[in-house]
Amino acid sequence: MFAKFVVITALILASCRAEAEDTSVLPESFVDAAQRSTHTNNWAVLVDASRFWFNYRHVANVLSIYRSVKRLGIPDSQIILMIADDMACNARNPRPGQVYNNANQHINVYGDDVEVDYRGYEVTVENFVRLLTGRTQNGTARSKKLLSDAGSNVLIYLTGHGGDGFLKFQDSEEITSQELADGIQQMWEKKRYNELFFMVDTCQAASLYEKFTSPNVLAVASSLVGEDSLSHHVDPSIGVYMIDRYTYYALEFLEKVQPFSKRTIGEFLQVCPKRVCISTVGVRKDLYRRDPHKVPITDFFGAIRPTRVSTDRINVTLANEDDFIVDKDETVAKKPFKIVMESQFPSELFK
Amino acid sequence: MFPEAFVLLLLVAFNAGSSLGKDNERFHEELVVRPLSGDHVNTYFQFTTRWHYGEKDNLYHTQLTPRVIAELLQQFAVKELHIGLTQGLWRYETWGYPIVEATSGAEMWAWFSGSNLTNGEVDRQWKELANVFSGVLCASLNFVDNTNSIAPRHLIRPQFMPANGQRFVRYSTLPREIVCTENLTPWKKLLPCGSASGFASLLNSGHVHNTKYHSLGLKVRVLCEDHDEENCIVELTQTANLVYDLRLFELSNNDFSLRRLFGMGLNGFCELADSSKIYVQRNEQGERFQLVPAPTQEVRSTRGGHSVVYSVYDMHEQFKDAGERLFNVAWLSPKSEGRRRNLAKPSLPPVTVHRYLLGHGQERGRIVTEVTNSHYDALPIMVQEVVPWYVHAYLHTLSIRRKPQRVNEYGRQRLPFKLLHYTPGKQRELPSHLEIGFMLPGQTSALITIDVDYLLLKWLEYPPDANHGHYIGAAIVSSQLPMGRNYTALPPEGHLFEHSFNATRPSYVLSLHTEALIVSLPTPDFSMPYNVICLACTVVALAFGPIHSVATKMIIVGRQASAPKNFVKKIFNKIFRRGKAGEEAPAEAEGAVLGAAAAAAPLGPSGFGSSRASRTTGGPSGDQPLLEDLDEEEEEQD
Repeated sequence: MFAKFVVITALILASCRAEAEDTSVLPESFVDAAQRSTHTNNWAVLVDASRFWFNYRHVANVLSIYRSVKRLGIPDSQIILMIADDMACNARNPRPGQVYNNANQHINVYGDDVEVDYRGYEVTVENFVRLLTGRTQNGTARSKKLLSDAGSNVLIYLTGHGGDGFLKFQDSEEITSQELADGIQQMWEKKRYNELFFMVDTCQAASLYEKFTSPNVLAVASSLVGEDSLSHHVDPSIGVYMIDRYTYYALEFLEKVQPFSKRTIGEFLQVCPKRVCISTVGVRKDLYRRDPHKVPITDFFGAIRPTRVSTDRINVTLANEDDFIVDKDETVAKKPFKIVMESQFPSELFK
Repeated sequence: MFPEAFVLLLLVAFNAGSSLGKDNERFHEELVVRPLSGDHVNTYFQFTTRWHYGEKDNLYHTQLTPRVIAELLQQFAVKELHIGLTQGLWRYETWGYPIVEATSGAEMWAWFSGSNLTNGEVDRQWKELANVFSGVLCASLNFVDNTNSIAPRHLIRPQFMPANGQRFVRYSTLPREIVCTENLTPWKKLLPCGSASGFASLLNSGHVHNTKYHSLGLKVRVLCEDHDEENCIVELTQTANLVYDLRLFELSNNDFSLRRLFGMGLNGFCELADSSKIYVQRNEQGERFQLVPAPTQEVRSTRGGHSVVYSVYDMHEQFKDAGERLFNVAWLSPKSEGRRRNLAKPSLPPVTVHRYLLGHGQERGRIVTEVTNSHYDALPIMVQEVVPWYVHAYLHTLSIRRKPQRVNEYGRQRLPFKLLHYTPGKQRELPSHLEIGFMLPGQTSALITIDVDYLLLKWLEYPPDANHGHYIGAAIVSSQLPMGRNYTALPPEGHLFEHSFNATRPSYVLSLHTEALIVSLPTPDFSMPYNVICLACTVVALAFGPIHSVATKMIIVGRQASAPKNFVKKIFNKIFRRGKAGEEAPAEAEGAVLGAAAAAAPLGPSGFGSSRASRTTGGPSGDQPLLEDLDEEEEEQD
């Protein structure tokens, strides 16, 4: 009896020790799994919230990011671009249809095939929040909706004039950091993102992500609370600042990234050290479970194209739905016919 | 005076018996180049997709026609749709009439027809249709709603309508809309070949948006056989109308070429196109130029007594032999002409229009539309005005005055209305809609005026750039010309540019757009509330402190029993007291302030006591005031 008790005790102790050993070091595969990308598609919401010609740099900012995500593979249908004013075809622009990131005209960030989804007066706080939370009005065009799901990695980029806890839209209204945090929380509750990368280039930008509580959000801001974000340089030929410092260096980094690049988000977060940015880049990692140095930058700036490599033969059967079969009899039935056109002027009224 | 409204019968022949689906669907691309006066060049692109789809069920499988257009016909009861996105103003006086009409900004109208359609249902469909194209063309057409749409009564006519069923029409303009690359890109994506090959490859944003005038158009119409709804054609016409100013190219002479205009030569034709042709106008302003390479074909067209000569380049012929190359056409002016400005006066078109605002201030004004008839005979004129709800128009002030063309001043002579249709506007709900018709005698100008009031908007109704002003959309002026001078529009039954050749008709319907107007509504200073709050708070803060102190603190004056009499003792006393009462210094300082305030407004226990207190504190010596703070907890607020 006693011997049996001793044996059981010993067994229990042994098992306890074994358990303790297991939990102290997680299995390698488990750690790896937690660090692996889990998304199935990518979306980008890029917002320039300022109007007027002297805010040329904000449009150049948002177009820089647009250019990069498009180049890295996110299709236009999954990029929601909001630009509050027209710089490319502005009467003051001596180079119509072009927006540059540099006075030396290195890169035309406007490109030749841009698609702006919300523009001009459409860029409002209401539309932005509706877009994020998926509560767009009835009849909204498909290209103006964020149709992301629980497998989407969403990149949100905001630029404009901000202050401690707010970002101005069109110089007439503001979105507060609390509204932003609520919007993102609602996105999480509605399973509208898998991971979210929040990027903001404005003065006191770090104040905008302070109120976030939703999981899987990684945020980066061009300046801390109390700091201004500064512009990079001026183009004397058009008399306005070209681009902001943070986005200028971000674009410089992104230009070197290729679709299968091994660059990580961790590297991207250090893209603008204080000596070049003048402001301190703020990063918020506590809501994000992965190590940014193990996350490829293409998880947010590129797009997944699901492909499967097969060495076997694959039998592709043609669809045999009625829609896809051209009915021969029907096409033959077309015969010459007459059309009666309407009169184009009500002459009878002038009699 | 005028011939009966004519009815045209059009026979459309199809390759009956062919079994391929493509034969029911045809795509044509055309480019028309017309040198204009004043060193301008008009280039007009037209892409036509025509699909004899027959029954409605066939719309589920599209080939050349974009899917969105086919879905449109399934989803909505729309039979005809016109959308124009334009930047710039077409100068009728110097450039003549354009091939397609457009107004600056966005313009859109549609005809609906179907069984069981009601006005409410059409309103809903209209709004959704605008939303669809706001997504398809990346334009802010989603701002189209009941507050800026009208149902034109007479001026806008359908080109084709099924005989049975009710018809509804909706029209709207957004004059503020800008047109840029983001509109051109999706517009090109609707083409079968996209921008990869064919004429669309010439439309690159940098060379489209540096023009003086550029207009993108999209027209969809459904043509059905008479009394047979199940045998129909859907026709999509996409047009791009550009006017280049050669002076901006800074050339040494007036020569230009396709490569100069578009930045590159033509890389071939769209493989899906049935025809791919360039038409170059050779007479009038085109006479000055020599073409390189020399054209192989020439077309002479006489239409309404007006002759035009076009040279034709067929791309299918030019690119018959294989090999990668770029096709270019150059317009060379004679060497002797050199860099001389082209000052040849063009012939004035028969009808021209202008519009402007009269009056000053931000309270009331007068909208003026001026129509000039330089033809020798009288012409019927119709004008359609849409006045937005924030401008009140007064119908009783509407008048048409006339003057002979050569006279400068308008007299008291009035013209009678032949037609007057007016739908009053409603604040925040409906625009005012006015259509008038009158006969304008030959060589005469008419001045149509209507008085308006400007409304004071609510705070949130102002746009972010309120000081830019608010727009009143362009008016449309329509007329029926007996001759074809300057007239280049396609006949309604035609769908290719070549259908306008030799298309003589009893009359030609002309439609012109006036300039859009910009009014500056009374605009408040939006920072005013902020300024008032800041100022008021400062004043309250400054006033509150002293008043609160005076109202809550009591000043009690105590007299020192023995004040030193001689000078040395006074000084000694002062030094001695300062050293002893170091910790009381702040209280004393506050006392001094209090004393000053009390002097200004004696509010102490008794007027006599407080005034004495102030005197004693103010003096260098004598009575020592004893101040007692009744409420030490409260600090001054700021």
